[in-house]
Amino acid sequence: MSATVENKTKTVLKLEQIKKSFGGVKALKGVDFQLKEGEVHALLGENGAGKSTLIKILTGVYQMDSGNIIIKDNPVKVENPISARYKGIAAIYQELSLVESLTVAQNIFLGHEPVKNVFGQIDFKQILDKSMNYLKNFGIDIKPQAMVNELGMGEKRILEIVKALSINANILVLDEPTTGMSSAEIEKLFAIMDDMKTKQVNMIYITHYLDEVFRICDRASVFRDGENSGTFDIETTDSKTLIKAMLGKELTDEFPERTTQPTEETLLEVNNFKSSKMKEPVSFHLKKGEILGITGIIGAGKSELALGLFGSDKRESGQILQSGKEIANRTPEDAHKNGFALIPEDRKEQGLFLDLSVEHNITVTNIDKVIKNTFVSMKNKQKMAYKTAEKLKVKPLNVKAAAHNLSGGNQQKVVVGKWLSGDPKIILMDEPTRGIDVGAKTEIYKLIQKLAAGGVGVIIFSAEFKEINGICDRILILRKGQIIEEFTKEQSTTEKILSVALGGDQ
Amino acid sequence: MKNQTKQMQLDSNDHIAKIKRLLKGELGLLLILVVLVITFMILSPYFFTSRNLLNITRQVSITLIVAIGMTFVILTGEIDLSVGSLAALSGVATAAALSASGSIFLAILTGLAMGFLMGSINGLLTVYGKVQSFIVTLAMLGIARGIGLVWTGGKPISGLPIAFGKLGAGYIGPIPFSTVIAVGVFIIAFYFMNRTKHGIYMRSIGANTQAAELSAIPVKKYRVIAFMISGILSGLGGILITSRLLSAQPTAAEGMELNVIAAVILGGASLSGGIGTVLGTLLGAMVIGVIDNGMNLIGVSAFFQQIVKGIIILIAVMAKRGE
Repeated sequence: MSATVENKTKTVLKLEQIKKSFGGVKALKGVDFQLKEGEVHALLGENGAGKSTLIKILTGVYQMDSGNIIIKDNPVKVENPISARYKGIAAIYQELSLVESLTVAQNIFLGHEPVKNVFGQIDFKQILDKSMNYLKNFGIDIKPQAMVNELGMGEKRILEIVKALSINANILVLDEPTTGMSSAEIEKLFAIMDDMKTKQVNMIYITHYLDEVFRICDRASVFRDGENSGTFDIETTDSKTLIKAMLGKELTDEFPERTTQPTEETLLEVNNFKSSKMKEPVSFHLKKGEILGITGIIGAGKSELALGLFGSDKRESGQILQSGKEIANRTPEDAHKNGFALIPEDRKEQGLFLDLSVEHNITVTNIDKVIKNTFVSMKNKQKMAYKTAEKLKVKPLNVKAAAHNLSGGNQQKVVVGKWLSGDPKIILMDEPTRGIDVGAKTEIYKLIQKLAAGGVGVIIFSAEFKEINGICDRILILRKGQIIEEFTKEQSTTEKILSVALGGDQ
Repeated sequence: MKNQTKQMQLDSNDHIAKIKRLLKGELGLLLILVVLVITFMILSPYFFTSRNLLNITRQVSITLIVAIGMTFVILTGEIDLSVGSLAALSGVATAAALSASGSIFLAILTGLAMGFLMGSINGLLTVYGKVQSFIVTLAMLGIARGIGLVWTGGKPISGLPIAFGKLGAGYIGPIPFSTVIAVGVFIIAFYFMNRTKHGIYMRSIGANTQAAELSAIPVKKYRVIAFMISGILSGLGGILITSRLLSAQPTAAEGMELNVIAAVILGGASLSGGIGTVLGTLLGAMVIGVIDNGMNLIGVSAFFQQIVKGIIILIAVMAKRGE
């Protein structure tokens, strides 16, 4: 690494006072950022800190409201992703953009195939030869004739990088590139990145894993609330400093005081449970009246666990005991009958019927309760919806309105509401406060505490570490599908949770 | 106080939105129907007689019955292209059972069972076989038609007892018997869709399948049920056709699926699911029936009729979406 130090004085990319708002929300409040030649520069920060917005401005997906983008001392405008490409900026996102049914070589040259003659006949020999060269150059062991659908996840991501380099990208943005890769593949990726550094490719590296930052990055910029709260040299910093910069000042008053305590009665016991979508089996228990937090970064396996317990994904091993009795939860209907409720991660895609009324949304799950002699009683149905909406303070209190007319916080109340009339015993909440404003968050927290006070067992699956620390009686931390740490409320601080979840200690 | 005025504004906005919604939905379609009726009234003195109007309901009845079945399928976000073939095959089964047993009751039961069976196959293959319903029912369109042709050797089964003809061609007083049956099916379907949990579940599935699953709705079961309903009602349609002709034609109801789907879409249903009502389908079928009947009365050539019908359907759907 020290060999490249003298090169690092040159600045390849300079961002000055970048501002961007969405509606009334300021996503970026004047961000400064510099990328130096030959470096891998990490972008760190919690969800919603502004990393993705900045990258999308850099790659022309969004237009900034004000600010300057300067590449090698020339101010430039990036109007769209194609113009970004011409300026040598390429981004590799978590979702791959490869055509599975074409070969490796065809993918590398997709959109800029060399032609032999005026009829546009593609020069396949040239494609193959050049691809072979690229792959050899970076020491990548993939055959250019191979079909992309035969490659593993790691190879596909590496192929994306080669594809970007083939169009002479010299500013490369990597958005959590190690997602879904095995540790051997990760090592290979890092080796390729080390090599790219020596070839004057400058990289911005977005990740949640601190150990990766210390392994591959030269500098790190930490984002918080739409601002760059500091750039650090990796050689002279430690994970504690980075975590502090990510968290900033801790606000505690958004979490209401907990007035009841969990009972000693075990409500749920999960032993070596694994669903088809989970990476590793897990074991834990939940007490009656307890608020249990299950946290970890995105991709740690929280949602998979929630959906597995709820019977949405197929169970592969292990057992679930409810109050000492084994239960199956083969389908969500089973889970519902056993008194389980699920508030899914994506409110709009998984939780709501957006075009249907609030009444429909609230009553559909427990419609059996308002059936009289095989027919649904319209009066009782409306009453049930109204009572639930009133209890949850849904605003506006109009059960005939379509769900898409409500704000995010009120929509979330509706999703909670559809379970409440069935008196659930165990509630699984996946990211219960994502994308809702502070006031609504506090209301949701109060509701969670009220449910727990009534003897319900609540499991909160969340990547909001402050929330997990603020609201839960006990905390389990997932990393790559495994429960690796357990904290009681007394032991836990947001910093400790973050440090374990990001793997800064390792 | 300020809050109160704001609330009232909200309420009045709500009313406007409600009226707009109604205009886009059934009320708009009713307006189109009224305009069509008035147009034909002016163009033909015979059009607005009680005899002709009842005649329209008779002509529409079979399309309507099958279209109601289709409404359930489309509501869950699927499509059934096999309805015409299922109607023909059910007609053949009905006639065969009638010839063999002489029992009208048994014959009707056989026809309905055939529709139910084939509809179930459509549903099971779509849901558990995970093949798109467009493909499953396109294949079924050919298979069911073929079975009917093989069964009869391509010749109609004729010489059915006159009493059987009452169903499709008879009258109760001035009202065609098939109209009565269609109204009966409409009422049952209306209640089934709006007032039982089954209808509410199906609407949820069409609106958002993933949310329905995570709301503990047995999604797979109800997706199959929708195809079963479509199958049974196609069978009923086939029985009525056979009764009207006193003969089962293996080639009957060819192209019926197009008229039926047109009626449902005209009725405001969305091909992507979740939106659609039985009342809308009734009005959609009536619009098509009135266009057919009216153009016949004023002597538009049959070739030209197709063009006009196509254009009217396009305009009607676009006008409703345009707002």
